[in-house]
Amino acid sequence: MSVSRPIGELKTLAEAFVRFGLSCGADEVEVGVGDDVEFGVDVRLGEIENLVEAGTRSLGLRVIRDGKTAYAGSSDLSPETIERLIRNAVRRAELASRDECAGLPETSPSLLDSRELDLFDPAIVDLDPQTKITWARETERIALDDKRIVNSHGASCDTHVGHAVLANSKGFLGEYRKTYAGLNVSLQAGDTDDLVEDFWFSSKVHLSDLASPEEIARTAVARTVRHLKPRKIRTQRVPVIFDPLMTSSLLGFLCGCLTGTAVYQKSTFLADRLGQRIGTEALTIIDDGLLPRRLGSSPFDAEGVPSRRTVVVENGILKTFLCNTYAGRKIGLPSTGNADGGGVGPSNFYLQPGSTSPAAILRSTEKGLYLVRTLGHGLNPVSGDISRGAFGLWIENGEPAYPVSEITISGNLGEILQSVEMIGDDLVFDGSVCGPTIKVAEMQIAGLS
Amino acid sequence: MTIFEDRFPLGPEATASVLSEALARGGDFAELYFEYRLHSSVLMEEDIIKETSESVGLGLGVRVWAGDRTGYGHTNDLSPERMRQAARSAAAVALADRPSVSVSDFAPAVPLAGIAREIRPAGSADVTEKIDIVRRSYEACLAADPAIKKARVGWGDLVQHVAIVNSEGLIISDVRPMIKLTCVAIAEKGTAREYGFSGSGGRVGLEHFDDAYPPERIGREAAEEAVRLLEAGDAPAGEMPVILAPGHAGVLIHEAVGHLLEADFHRKKTSIFWNKMGARVGSELVTIYDDPTIPASRGSYGMDDEGTIPRPTLLIDKGVVAGLLTDRLSAKILGRPLTGHGRRQDYTEIPIPRMANTYIAAGPHDPGEILASVKKGFYAERFTGGQVEDSGKFTFSVSSGFLIENGRRTRPVKQATLIGTNVDILNRICMAGNDLAFGQQTGTCGKDGQDVPVNDGCPTLKISSMTVGGRT
Repeated sequence: MSVSRPIGELKTLAEAFVRFGLSCGADEVEVGVGDDVEFGVDVRLGEIENLVEAGTRSLGLRVIRDGKTAYAGSSDLSPETIERLIRNAVRRAELASRDECAGLPETSPSLLDSRELDLFDPAIVDLDPQTKITWARETERIALDDKRIVNSHGASCDTHVGHAVLANSKGFLGEYRKTYAGLNVSLQAGDTDDLVEDFWFSSKVHLSDLASPEEIARTAVARTVRHLKPRKIRTQRVPVIFDPLMTSSLLGFLCGCLTGTAVYQKSTFLADRLGQRIGTEALTIIDDGLLPRRLGSSPFDAEGVPSRRTVVVENGILKTFLCNTYAGRKIGLPSTGNADGGGVGPSNFYLQPGSTSPAAILRSTEKGLYLVRTLGHGLNPVSGDISRGAFGLWIENGEPAYPVSEITISGNLGEILQSVEMIGDDLVFDGSVCGPTIKVAEMQIAGLS
Repeated sequence: MTIFEDRFPLGPEATASVLSEALARGGDFAELYFEYRLHSSVLMEEDIIKETSESVGLGLGVRVWAGDRTGYGHTNDLSPERMRQAARSAAAVALADRPSVSVSDFAPAVPLAGIAREIRPAGSADVTEKIDIVRRSYEACLAADPAIKKARVGWGDLVQHVAIVNSEGLIISDVRPMIKLTCVAIAEKGTAREYGFSGSGGRVGLEHFDDAYPPERIGREAAEEAVRLLEAGDAPAGEMPVILAPGHAGVLIHEAVGHLLEADFHRKKTSIFWNKMGARVGSELVTIYDDPTIPASRGSYGMDDEGTIPRPTLLIDKGVVAGLLTDRLSAKILGRPLTGHGRRQDYTEIPIPRMANTYIAAGPHDPGEILASVKKGFYAERFTGGQVEDSGKFTFSVSSGFLIENGRRTRPVKQATLIGTNVDILNRICMAGNDLAFGQQTGTCGKDGQDVPVNDGCPTLKISSMTVGGRT
């Protein structure tokens, strides 16, 4: 489906709405427009199950009048609708309270040429639907060829071609295009009453970086069958090794605890810890919006602040919080270019890898849990407490002994950061929050009495 | 004349022409889903009304079936050209390997009436009224206890207009209002910090906050939970008897049973329950329904997102699997009745079987008697959510609870995950209270990346033994 629209059109639209907002009496106006063309195919047991093709446009705007803020958004981009929303927003801003920290960022002198980030791959735009269908089919077929796999939740191939434009009344006008391609498969093994499941995937900005159907299928099979015939273990405290996906999940929780918004809201256990040691010497955590060809990269954030590289934790010391302009003003720090919608979000947020191989980390563990998957919520940012259902492999004498399930794992993020003993060398960027294998000295497992 | 209300000014001819385009390549069924939504929100924190917002969503989703394949296209531009393009995208799945069905004559249908209970609709209320409700809740929260250092109160109201037309001749439309008021309280004592949460709402009008649930109560409840957690110890770790408080704990039933009886997991044979229709999977005390027709409830609707009139559905009858939650596709493939559980997050998504209001029926026991029967165990009071996988392994997260010692609730404890396998747990439900209650009308369920509003209910329940994932 060709729903690509002239690029200039979105810029003109955004600028026109900024001018309209000012004419309605706003002191400051910000308009963001997004245009996304998506394709997705789900294949299950060899047959196409769903095929989705669409083009979507959306607009978000912010107006500030007399230090008071109102937001609006629409997927209906007709001028009548948007102009009504702008008039309403200017009027509604009156009803908010005056807030000294409200307002647009100061304009920045220079903006990176988005081409340097290499976020747009024409090969994804040109990829024909039949190839995507074939890849999804192929991924699932290779996985199902393994006799231990009894059923499939299906394989999917998705592509997105996005175009973002941002304009504001301080003269900012920026745009970039970004592509995405993803391929995944999700499998089941075992008997109906003793099913185990897992999945694997690859998500990239460039097609040539995407893992092959074969590689994804083989990994998904290996990850699924290793759960077969799980045991429940007894309640105890043991070292825990985090699979890279589990480290990423832990980092996602940490990232939420490191935003300036959470700090002024006092909704993070790290609120008072700036400049202090929060983790072991080996921990260096970086947010970098300028990594070429990465999913979390962009030339500027949601309010037009240039993206940058921010060392958040350096050798265990908390160096800064991630901020948008508002949160930065609230807590007296500069914006780190992490505005995301109305809040703060990561760009590429990652734990710097160490030099130990995952195999060596396993070998170092006499007895412990290799954590592969968690189930449930159980994350409390205010206290840092963690409690989740867990699946993994029991490690004995440096080797996987048997799979475990129906246990829970609990601890506290603050304590975990202080007890990271080893960091793997296996960092892969398959999302915007990523980490390598890590080993934590000790966590509480709940299982059999 | 337009087919629908003013929101979708589309004549019968234009509609039929988009449907015909969708069937042009040989589909068995085509459907147009028009959606228009108006959302408004207010946020108060740091003692100020920090921001207000308003958003409009408008779009069309076109679905085509060819055998078991689904083609889907959507657009938020309702020009004839874009609608036909979305229809062509959906039609692509049909691959022209069979003759098309023709579009039947349209037979207008009407959704169930009386689902929304609103006297003063939020959609047409002035934003100042909403700000007043938010402010009252915020101030009550901060005033509730000196330990409360921060409060954050959010208001959201939504009016969703939906109109559905399909090639079988169905035409139906509905308007679905929804309100949600939530409060988060942060309490501090020394270096310890905890948060509490409360909220209310549903398919109701502003009058809901006059007497049924005053905003001050929501503020106070959030504050009380935060303060209680400051005093709470770590939850125990290991297997022990567990009592679930009435109301919110219905999330356990939602996870342990509801998802696994959504019919898509049955046609795919991925659910542990797929071959268990008529089989015993739980104790006699376990009778579970999903009822989308409960007036005013967050999970309710007068028609589902395929235009089916919903009906209360018996899922488990005294421990025996008795029903499935179906959408059109799974009902067709499995030969099961339509229950009206085909739901979607919005027009960009394909409908799938989902829960609405899921609850376990009241039992014979007095709640006091249930508590008295436990010598040493865990009382799960408040919940933040749960998750299940098709194998039946599920968790649910308890934000606060109590130890039970000698039949009494004693020390407050915080943050524990309960984990189990559904059939094990259903068999271990050994007492059920006569005090069925529903959750606080703030729940959202996520599946396949789609969020829909739901509610859950349960009476006091005793599980003879379950793994509690605390820290001590």
